[in-house]
Amino acid sequence: MKLKSLLSTLLIIPLISCSQASSLESKVFCFDTAIDIRLFEGEKQNLNDIENIFSYYDKISDNYKQRDVNNVYLVNNTNDDVLVDETLYSMLQKSFALKEEIRYFNPLCGSLAKKWKESLKSSQILDEATIQSELSKLNNSSVLFKDNNLIQRLGGAEIDLGAVAKGFALDEVKKYLVSKSFSKYLINSGYSSILLGQKQSDDGLFSVGLSDIDNAYLKLSNCFVSTSGVSTQGVKIDDQIYSHIVNPYTGSAINNYDTVIVISSSGYLGDAISTSFMLSSIDEIKQVEQTQNVKAIAIKDKNIVYKNESLEVYYH
Amino acid sequence: MDKKKLTNDIILIGSLLVLAIVSLVIILTTRNKSNLIATVRVQNQIVLKIDLNKDEGKDFVVDGINGQVRIHVKDGAIAVTESNCPHQDCVRTGYVNQTGKPIICAYNGVSITIEGNSSNDIEV
Repeated sequence: MKLKSLLSTLLIIPLISCSQASSLESKVFCFDTAIDIRLFEGEKQNLNDIENIFSYYDKISDNYKQRDVNNVYLVNNTNDDVLVDETLYSMLQKSFALKEEIRYFNPLCGSLAKKWKESLKSSQILDEATIQSELSKLNNSSVLFKDNNLIQRLGGAEIDLGAVAKGFALDEVKKYLVSKSFSKYLINSGYSSILLGQKQSDDGLFSVGLSDIDNAYLKLSNCFVSTSGVSTQGVKIDDQIYSHIVNPYTGSAINNYDTVIVISSSGYLGDAISTSFMLSSIDEIKQVEQTQNVKAIAIKDKNIVYKNESLEVYYH
Repeated sequence: MDKKKLTNDIILIGSLLVLAIVSLVIILTTRNKSNLIATVRVQNQIVLKIDLNKDEGKDFVVDGINGQVRIHVKDGAIAVTESNCPHQDCVRTGYVNQTGKPIICAYNGVSITIEGNSSNDIEV
């Protein structure tokens, strides 16, 4: 009889191991990507609230079309004052403050990046005359922050918050989750910006796979993971990969690494830094890691060429 | 009588063991191969679910917001093979078989995400 019970248990074990912890899940299309929201606590209304946060940040940071609020597109299409809401005003202020702290991060790269994208669309390198013209615009443009949420863009360079908008949205989502006392969640903004809470497991750590390195992964929780890379938007021309991440000093679209991953405690900061690290030397990366309290991994040709010493990479 | 009972027990135990092993093999095999499901959305609406094992070799055409997007399944992976979008980022993404790594055609509002039993919770 005991033996029969044992055998029955043997049969049941594999079936039990297939079961997964339940979660509330939602996928929304914002920022031209699929946002994956997973809450391991809470209710449907919480998913809706988070979806609304993403949708709102998507609208105000859009630099390609006018929406039903005054957004970046509107600021880019006039040199007059534009009244924006407090959130966009704050996003712009923080972004332009970061420009002074983080080398290679410049929110005025919009038109230069657009020109590169247009050129790469037909597998052509952007011509030098256009690069110099765009750099001249970049160097002669600025944004004035006036009272009562008025913004004035001066010059011909366009604002692009694409590198940091998802990070700002994730910061707001985190505030929301903290206000609800939630600690177990995973919010994935199209794999380039991720907010990790705690996993429903004994150690609470998520496995974050490094897709450029076979079987490699990090164990992380309670942090933002920002990733910049050339894998999806890079174009190979004459054995050189050109990407959407553009050097604001030289106008070049050649990056130093294939992928940079930054672990931080702020979404927009991590996003800005991961973008700038794509163009940084390893010494520059180390310096910013110390001043901004972030940790980075840089990958080139399927090899980790730099890793913050406090990060551990595991292998399956 | 006792000898016959013992024989029956041995047969029963043997049968259950075989059944347990067969079950385990089936579960492990299906976990590795057929549990990857690609969900295709146009904006926020699910328009298609594709089993990356069962739909091997198949083509799918989805109506995006600005035109059609052609999707193909090969070797347990999925790709956008044709799209009328200007930048072709979705086509250049190539074949994907990892969870947490979507294929996006922003121009057509089409996203393809893979769900299933990955050893990682997410990929970057």
